[in-house]
Parts: sequence; structure tokens; C-alpha cells
Amino acid sequence: MKMHRRQVLRGIGGATVALPFLEAFSPRKAKAGSEIVPPYAIFFRQANGVACVQDTELGAEPERFWPSAQGALTAETVAGRALEELGTYLDRLLVVGGVNMEDFNYADGHARGALQLLTARGPTVEGVGGDSEAAGESIDHRIGRELNLDGRESLFLFAGMDGWLGGPCITYRDAGQRRAAIRDPKQGYMGMMGIDATQFEALAARQQSVNDLVRGQMTSLLASPELSAADRQRLDLHFTSIRDLENSLSCNFTVEQQMLIDGMSPGYESDDGDAVLEAVKAHMHVAALAVACGYTRSVTIQVSSGNDGSTRYRNFDSGELMENFHFLSHRRASHDASGSIIENSDLLHHHVDRHFAQTFAYLLDRLAEYDLPDGSNLLDCGVSVWCNDNGNGPGHSSRNCPFVIAGGASGFLRQGQFLHLGDELTHARVLNTIGSAAGLRNAQGGNIDDFGDPSLPRTVVDELLA
Amino acid sequence: MRARKTHRQLEWSLTATLALVAPLGGCYTGVGDGAGASAGDAGEAGEAGEAGDAGDAGDAGEDGGPANELPAPTTRLYRLTHSQWENTIQDLFYLPEPTGLSADFRTDPSIGGFVFDNNAATLEVDQVLWQSYQRAAVQVAEMITADPSLLAAIAPPDAGDANARAQQFVAEMGVRAYRRPLTTPETDELVALFDAAPALYEGVDPFTAGVRLAIETVLQSPHFLYRIETSTETSGDVIPLGDYEVAARLSYFLWNSMPDGELFDAAADASLGDADAIEDQARRMLVDIRSRAVVEHFHDQVFEVERFQNAAPSAAFYPDAPENLGDLATEEHRRFIEDVVFERAGGVSDLLTSNETFVNDEVARIYGLEGTYGAEFEKATLDPAQRSGILTQLGFLVANSTTANPDPIHRGVFVAKRLACMNIAAPPDGVPPLPPSEGRSNRQAVEDHTEQPGTSCVGCHSTIINPFGFPFENYDVVGAWRLDDNGMAVDATSTIALDGNEIAVTNAVDLAQALAASPTVHACYMQHWIEFAFGRPLAEEDEAFTTRVGEESTSGNMPVVDLLIEIVTSNAFRNRATQELP
Repeated sequence: MKMHRRQVLRGIGGATVALPFLEAFSPRKAKAGSEIVPPYAIFFRQANGVACVQDTELGAEPERFWPSAQGALTAETVAGRALEELGTYLDRLLVVGGVNMEDFNYADGHARGALQLLTARGPTVEGVGGDSEAAGESIDHRIGRELNLDGRESLFLFAGMDGWLGGPCITYRDAGQRRAAIRDPKQGYMGMMGIDATQFEALAARQQSVNDLVRGQMTSLLASPELSAADRQRLDLHFTSIRDLENSLSCNFTVEQQMLIDGMSPGYESDDGDAVLEAVKAHMHVAALAVACGYTRSVTIQVSSGNDGSTRYRNFDSGELMENFHFLSHRRASHDASGSIIENSDLLHHHVDRHFAQTFAYLLDRLAEYDLPDGSNLLDCGVSVWCNDNGNGPGHSSRNCPFVIAGGASGFLRQGQFLHLGDELTHARVLNTIGSAAGLRNAQGGNIDDFGDPSLPRTVVDELLA
Repeated sequence: MRARKTHRQLEWSLTATLALVAPLGGCYTGVGDGAGASAGDAGEAGEAGEAGDAGDAGDAGEDGGPANELPAPTTRLYRLTHSQWENTIQDLFYLPEPTGLSADFRTDPSIGGFVFDNNAATLEVDQVLWQSYQRAAVQVAEMITADPSLLAAIAPPDAGDANARAQQFVAEMGVRAYRRPLTTPETDELVALFDAAPALYEGVDPFTAGVRLAIETVLQSPHFLYRIETSTETSGDVIPLGDYEVAARLSYFLWNSMPDGELFDAAADASLGDADAIEDQARRMLVDIRSRAVVEHFHDQVFEVERFQNAAPSAAFYPDAPENLGDLATEEHRRFIEDVVFERAGGVSDLLTSNETFVNDEVARIYGLEGTYGAEFEKATLDPAQRSGILTQLGFLVANSTTANPDPIHRGVFVAKRLACMNIAAPPDGVPPLPPSEGRSNRQAVEDHTEQPGTSCVGCHSTIINPFGFPFENYDVVGAWRLDDNGMAVDATSTIALDGNEIAVTNAVDLAQALAASPTVHACYMQHWIEFAFGRPLAEEDEAFTTRVGEESTSGNMPVVDLLIEIVTSNAFRNRATQELP
């Protein structure tokens, strides 16, 4: 059941329009239970696989990502691994190994990974490599479509440069219908922010006049018999996007938070990894606010293009910017296997993994800042998923693609564990599990098992459930 | 109803001629069921709708192009691109410069397989973009009405009759904003806003309040945000577009903005049903500086100029490479395009063979030019034995190199796909890496790796990719001329298959000459312009036009400007198809 959150807050004497968000969620003032925050899903995407144990044409590489043993996640099992950066949250993580994507004929490892990552679908046209599009809706869009109030779409946030696969490429409204992303963190926030109470009435009245007239025009256009199905679909999307101004309550940052985000945002189109990840962190502030105030049940944050072929992350040891991440993943100074060998590039790939782990930890920190009156924490109310297009670098493997899940969705998923469930675990099943954790249900009220390509196993993974 | 070919099948029909001469050896051309979800993939026609605001009736072929050159089914809704929105706002309100508000619009997604950023069928208004439009409309309305000079530019003077003034404002603003005269109901509903407005804007005089609310409304109207084609009346094999529809197509193609006063006057006079009148307008518009930005944007996308920034020569091998090599290559490219198209009235052949370009001191050094050059770019003549047109300029060469070596594979793929419109499928997954040269030249290393008999690589590489790529071995990673490769003489010879012939070339200059003389290449260039002009993938209906104009361009080196005239006077541009998209 969709919770009309504003009614709940008003019913408990909640915030007025202008109240800063943190006040509204102060455990000393909010009186509602954790039903205020329904389960959500935040997806955080990394490209190019991780630095894990493998044999390459340059030799054997050691394990630097996955925990050293299955079972309970401990400081010992993640020592020396990228997951070490999440040490504070080990008891709230579920690290899933052995997740295998399908070898659909995308004719490109990056397209196969990035476009399948949240869709569990093959291409609309096979064998076209970088010109590929996914043949189905992505899980984040489905969560937003089915669970968000008033048909609001899920948030799709992007930082980094465009490039292979055109930049934002992991979220789909439907087959071949790639969604646009918000790049400037301030834009994401501007869409949510409330309006000062002293102005609201006048602004709302004006917009009502505008919307009434425009809706009438849209209705007339939609009645045109000449419109193609595609044109009608586009007009429908536009029509449903028209919103009356809402007296949105607690979707406001404080002035200080807003200034913080402004300061973090400028590098959202940079090739400097530090600047890009700062912008990503700004996105994470927005993401946390968005799920906390019920603006959306789903947020996706994509870092850089289909092969992250422009971003240069910083070497932790030397402090220098490294070659772009895609070069590192190939272990060579080229976007394929033709370039000169980059020395110690498996270690450098590990450095990038650590950057992403730190950034994921930043998201968890933001979520963990929100304590709810019943003693629960926003982080635990949903699932935050750090996922990757590929299993490893040079091979762009479709197998063993990392899924690091934090939060547990109020006890839906197991936590504190590293599970490797054999060699046959399909990624489609993991997405159905995450979707169910975020609140998707079938017609009978049970967990979903219909997301992704119908040819794939799609049942929820029982071993991941609490 | 004839079946419609997809974009991919159309390309196959071009490349199929190669099979008659050059063994393709199983090179996979990606022929499938369709090139993705796009407006170009229509099925059976729908029913014709009510008669709309059609222009002068006339069968295709009587005035303009040959009768067999018919329009393809297209969308009726062309959402303004962000740059079009920005330009339109500037022109609509006579602003001295763009507002810059579109910088807050979320970027439209790239669509796989389409070269350009204006695929009309995929330009959508989602919630995020709608919010941006709403905010921008409020900001523009406030800005205009707060500035007396801006307000005076669009508002009729106060003659004492408030209602008449409102009526006049709505009529004048409306035709320009919606790019057609308003209907009576549309006029009435906008005039009615003047009654409601005073209560909605505290402290603002009633007329100004009405203007402000009207601007907010108009800028959020679908009739502003989309270029909407409503004509439905059939005339023979086509649906002639109305004069205002033609005016809008012209202005958004050649200027990326709304029609100007002269074009609106021509539409009001109903004179745009005539191909000669359209040509006159188009030639006038092509002299305007706004058309230069459009031509630049087109070529930026065809030649993937943004990839010039990928230039990353290894400091170990190229210690003197400029740090801003990408920027230098971009500047050279854009100046060259503008010079060829507008200053020299050049055509495709000139783009491919001219040895005149623009250099500054750093670029001149790469080209090995003698003389003194400064930091500013100036025109220069390059050695014709080494340089011939855009493919031997820095941009293409540096964008298609590794950090250490030229990349004949990507150079060859680009020439084959983008200049000859050959359909080459992506390589299979798991291609083993190119091994170290170990005493071989770069060419030898690539040949040994990609042309082994019996492998999945040899089909495409031996017949298409490598032949188009090896002629560029004379240019190193920074685009400089070289005769030595790893201690061996560079071998830039090749035999390409083009237009059903095998053509032996000695180097890239030779190759450029062959490309410039190829009807396939000229037709391919036209195909790109068609896709750009119409905002859709190529359709079967375009084949006759691109073939004809491609041949005329080949034989007469038709200036690019004249190619654009051919487009705007074509049946496809002046009419809609009788068949609607499904």
C-alpha cells in the first residue's frame, strides 16, 4: 500500500513548508514510527569490474576485492580488500558473490554489462556493440513506477563524462527507451525542494492557471487520430509529467547543507576522479533526502560512461592521477588490448575499487544520519546496492559481478554476510530479490519473480532473505 | 503497401555491390530485424486523419524533386532540442544573447546507432525536464516584464483600450511562439489570462501581469515546446505541408531556431508552397551567420569531434606533443569546415582533398611547416604529397590512435562506416589482445593479428577495415607525417573495395582522392544530412534522393550549400508521407 506520507506527518503535527528537513526528522520531535519511510532502493554503479584473483595475459593477479572467507563479514575477512573501506558497516552488509549476467549478444562487454545491469535483458538489436539498447525496463524505473506517489519517476543521477555507450545508459523506461539523467546535483535537489509558505499560494495559483490551459491543449493533441503510437506515448509522458505545485514538506536541505552540496557539485562533468566522486557524493546527499522524505522509492547513481573511459582516479600511494579507469581495466594504455602495458595496473585497479568503496560508504553515512523515532535508522529501511557491470577488468567477464548490498530493508535481507551461492546464480534473480526488498509485490502480494528476460530464472534468492 | 526497409537493410543494399567484386569472406554486416526502436521503423499505415492546415496542393514531382523521391513517414511532434529552445527564446524576445537557462535542463539521452543528437522520435519531456521548463518559463516571464525595454519590444503600445491591447499582444506573440496563427479559441484562452493575472502578481500593473502570465503559459505550451505538423490533406502521393510548417522546418534546420519576420511574412503570403520561393529563402538564410553554427554542429557529430579530446600521446614516445592537442585539432577542424563550406563554396570533394587548412605555431610544427606562425590560427597550405583533406588533418588521426601507435583498425572502421556508410558489426567478445610488435611494423602486427585464415576476424579486417585503415600508417599518434615505423619503412599501400570496384591506393592522399570520386561516399554524406535535417534514421524512401544527389555531387563537386538547397526543396522536405507511423 502506498503511504501518503504528508498526511502522516501532518497528522502528527509535523513540519510546515519552510521547516528544515533535519528538524522534521529529529527524534525528539517526530512522533511517527518507521512507517514514515517505506523500503527503498539506491543503486550505485561502477564500471569495468573489480581487481579480483584472475589469470591474465600479463600473469596472475591476487584477490583484492572479495572477502577471504564466506560467512560473517569481519575485519579479518576484508583486511587488505577494497571492502575494508566499509568496515564501519560490515554488520549491515550483504556481499553476494557468484552473480552471473547472461551472455546476451551485445557484441561488447561493456554494453552487455551496463545495459543488462538493471534490466536483466538482452539488446533490442543483437550484435551492434556500442550502438546497443536494452530490451526492457530497468528495476529502478519499475520500483518508481509501481511504488512512487502520483506516478513520479525514480531519480536517475549521473556524474562523469559521456563516452562509450553515450554516457547515462543503465536506466530504461521500456525496451529501447533509455532515460535521461540529472547531472548537476543541484538540479536533482531543485526538483524536490519545497516552497516557502509565504509564496506558495500565489505561485500555486499561477501555475494552476498555466496547467489548466496547457492540460487542455495536451488533451486536444492526444485526441488527434493521426498521432502514431510513439508520438502518443511521448505526449502521454509529457502530460503525466505536468504537476501542480505541491506543498511539499520536508524535502528541504538547510541552507548550510545546500551550500555544502553547491560546493561539491562543480565537477559533475569532469574527468578528474576526485571532482567526479565529489559530485557523486553531492548526488548521494540528494538521494538520501529523496528516500527519507518519500520523494521517491528508487534512486540510481551512475558513475561515468559505459566504460568509464575518461575518468582518472587518484593513486592513493603517490597522490597522482592515474591513467583513465578503462585503460587500467585493460591493463594497457589503450581502450582495447593494443596499448603499452601499465605497470602494476591490477593494483591501480584496486585503488579505483577503494575509491568506489569509500564513496559507497559516504552514501551509507548520509543514510545513517537519519534516526527515526522508533529507534530504527534510515539506512536499515531500504537497500543500497553497489553494483558493477563486469566481474573483472581485462576479461570484462559477465560472471561473478559484485553486488554489495547495505541496509537489509527492515529485515527483509540477511546482513553481515558474504555469500557465494555457487556458479549458477543468475543476476536476474538478484534483481528480483532487490526489487522485492524495495517493496515490489506480485498480484498475490508475494515477492516478484517476473522481472527481466523471461528466459532467465527470476525467482527470489531465498538464501539472501533474512 | 510496400514493405519498408530498415536503416540496416538500406546500408546492406549499398554494400551488397561490393560482393560482386571483393570477397567479403563472411564479414558480418549486422542485417537483422530492425535498427532498434525508432520512428524510422514503420509498419502498416494508419488511417488518414481530418484535413489539416495544408499548403498549396501539388503532386510530388511537379515542383521540386522527381516524382519517385517521396517523403518517409515521420513523427508529427518535434520537441525543441535544448539549443533550439535557447535560440528560440532569444529570438522570440529579441534578446541580445541567450538566457543560458537551458544549462539547467537535463541532457537528452544518447540513442544507440544514431549519429546526431536530434532524433525527434526520442526527444521526450519527462518530469525532470518539465520542471526545468516550468522554472525557466517563470524566470523568462519575470525577466521580460521587469525590463521596460524588453517588454516594449514585444508589447503593443498603450492606446487606451486594455482589451484591444491584450488581443493584439496575444495575436502577435502567439503566431511567433506557436510558429503559426492562433485559432480563435487559443486566442480567447490566452486573452482570458489577462483577467486573472492582476490577482496573481502583487504590485504589478494589470497589462504587465497579463503579459507575464501569458509568457509563462506559452512557454509551457506543447505548441511552443514542440514543432507540431498537423497537415493531413493528401495530394497525390504526398501530404503537402502548410506554409507555416515549411517555414518552421526551414528555420529549425538551417538556423536551429524559429522563423524570422521575413519567413513568417512568406508563410502568411502562402508563398512557401513553391520550391523556388523556398530556395530563395534558404539561400538568404545560409548567408546568415546562424547557419554556420548548424553546419559546424553537423560536422562535429559526423566527424566525432568530441573524441578529439581523447588524444593522449604517450609522454615517453611523444614528449613534445602539445597538452591541448585535442583543442588544437578541434579548432583546426572547425575553421576548415567553415572555410570550405561558406568561404570557398566547396563540396564533399573539397572536404576530402583540400590541402589548405588552418594552423597556429603548434599545429604548424606538427605539420612540419616552415615559416613563422603565432598563437593565432591562420590559413596555410600543406604539402599535397602528404595531406589531402579532413582525413589527413590532426583531429581524425589523433582521435583514432593509441597512446603509442596509430590505430589502423579504428581509422579504417571510421572511414568505412562513417564516410562510406558500410555496416560493420561489432567485433565478437573475447578478442585476444594485440601482441607486442616484437620487431614488426605496426601494420605487420595488425595484419598478423587480424588476418589469420579461418578466424572470425579475417572476413571484415582483410576486406574492409584494414584496407581503409592502412593508408593512414604515414601519420603517427599526433598526426605528424612519418616514413619509418619501428625501423621499417611505412607501407601505406592498400586495395579498397568501393562502388563495386577494387581500387589500389598508395597512401592516404590517394585514398582521399578515391573517396572524393566515389558516388557511395557522396551519397553517404547526403545520408547524414538527411538524418540530421529530418531528425530520424535514414528510410527506404530516402534512397532515390540520396543516390541522385550523391551522383550529382560526385560529378559536379556540388557545394555543400547547394546540397542543403537540394534537401529543402525536395519532396521529402516540403511534404509529409501519406502513410503515418504505426
